Amino acid sequence: MTSAKLFGICLRISADRDAAEDILQEVYIKVWNRAGRFDSGRASPITWLCAIARNAAIDWRRASLRPGTVPEEAASTVADSALPADRVIERDQMRARLLYCIDQLQRGHGDAIRAAFLDGLTYAELADRMAVPLGTMKSWIRRGMQRLKECIGDG
Amino acid sequence: MAEVPLSAEERDGLVAELALGVLDGEERAAALRALMADPAFTPGLIEDWQRRLAPLYDEYTPVAPADTLWAGIAARIDDADAPREGALRQLRIWRAGAMIAGVAAASLALVLLFRPVPSSPPLPGPAAPVAIAQMTGAVDGPVVLARFDPASGRLSLRASAVKPGALAPELWVIPPDGKPRSLGLIAANTDSQLPVEARLRAFMTEGATLAVTMEPVDGAPHAAPSSAPVASGKISLI
Repeated sequence: MTSAKLFGICLRISADRDAAEDILQEVYIKVWNRAGRFDSGRASPITWLCAIARNAAIDWRRASLRPGTVPEEAASTVADSALPADRVIERDQMRARLLYCIDQLQRGHGDAIRAAFLDGLTYAELADRMAVPLGTMKSWIRRGMQRLKECIGDG
Repeated sequence: MAEVPLSAEERDGLVAELALGVLDGEERAAALRALMADPAFTPGLIEDWQRRLAPLYDEYTPVAPADTLWAGIAARIDDADAPREGALRQLRIWRAGAMIAGVAAASLALVLLFRPVPSSPPLPGPAAPVAIAQMTGAVDGPVVLARFDPASGRLSLRASAVKPGALAPELWVIPPDGKPRSLGLIAANTDSQLPVEARLRAFMTEGATLAVTMEPVDGAPHAAPSSAPVASGKISLI
């Protein structure tokens, strides 16, 4: 269900149930008001909604000026049950390729990229969480993202 | 911080950082300024990264929000502009649509939006949910966007890359029974509006498919298509 997925995103990034509900309300109102911005050539609707939720949650997180208190969370995968088989394969391929490429990255780089994306952390928060100097973290992310792009191989 | 034009490496770095969201405050603003001033930058570069990273959304564990969520949204929408009852009703229908959209999302055809058509004046009272579809076929084939407004019974269409010739594009709605019903010929490569016959309006809903075939102009609307669709897509309510 889309709302549970979106709420999961808001909750993980905000780490605050009340805030997550507020953020999700804003997300739906935003979508309601500007559905016209969706570019079908670039993303699926669910990806578009996820991106709006993630950005809104990150905005809230940055604005709330709290120290990084995001709980670690075990990755979990939810299967899409109702997709046509060929789309499932294509989707699984994209996912497998991304996860494979993240695994190929140097130790730390992949973890940093995952944490940045999933928890919405800044450079400073990432450096803090992974206990490395800020400059090191910047170089990890930049080099990691560069390698990731090469590995995925779509330009 | 960054010289313009940016080196390819610096551009790639800033784009990756923005897509990932690791920059904050002034750093983020500076990155945006540098990219905006860079002639080789396009927003598509950031969108490419968003697409590459999109499978990571699977890693988020879904958590059901409280039931009060929808009431909260309805209240906020009501506060803004819509009549109370209407907004609630619309929201309920729309929420059902959003759930289904989530399930069907990865299917190529489905799309959430079509820019609202400014042709009709604002409707008094609540608007019914709008049905939309994006029809696609081959990679370089036609793309047809459709937006159906139940209040007016009109279908707004935007067609591109349709190759007209002896044959003209004809639009079909295919409800779950699988039998195509013609909605009539449509304009190739331009925006157009098509009134939908009353008996066909009920088909313009979630789960039905819209399809375009190339047909002889004679005798349209036809009883059945004579060829395979050049573009098709599922309808979604928003």
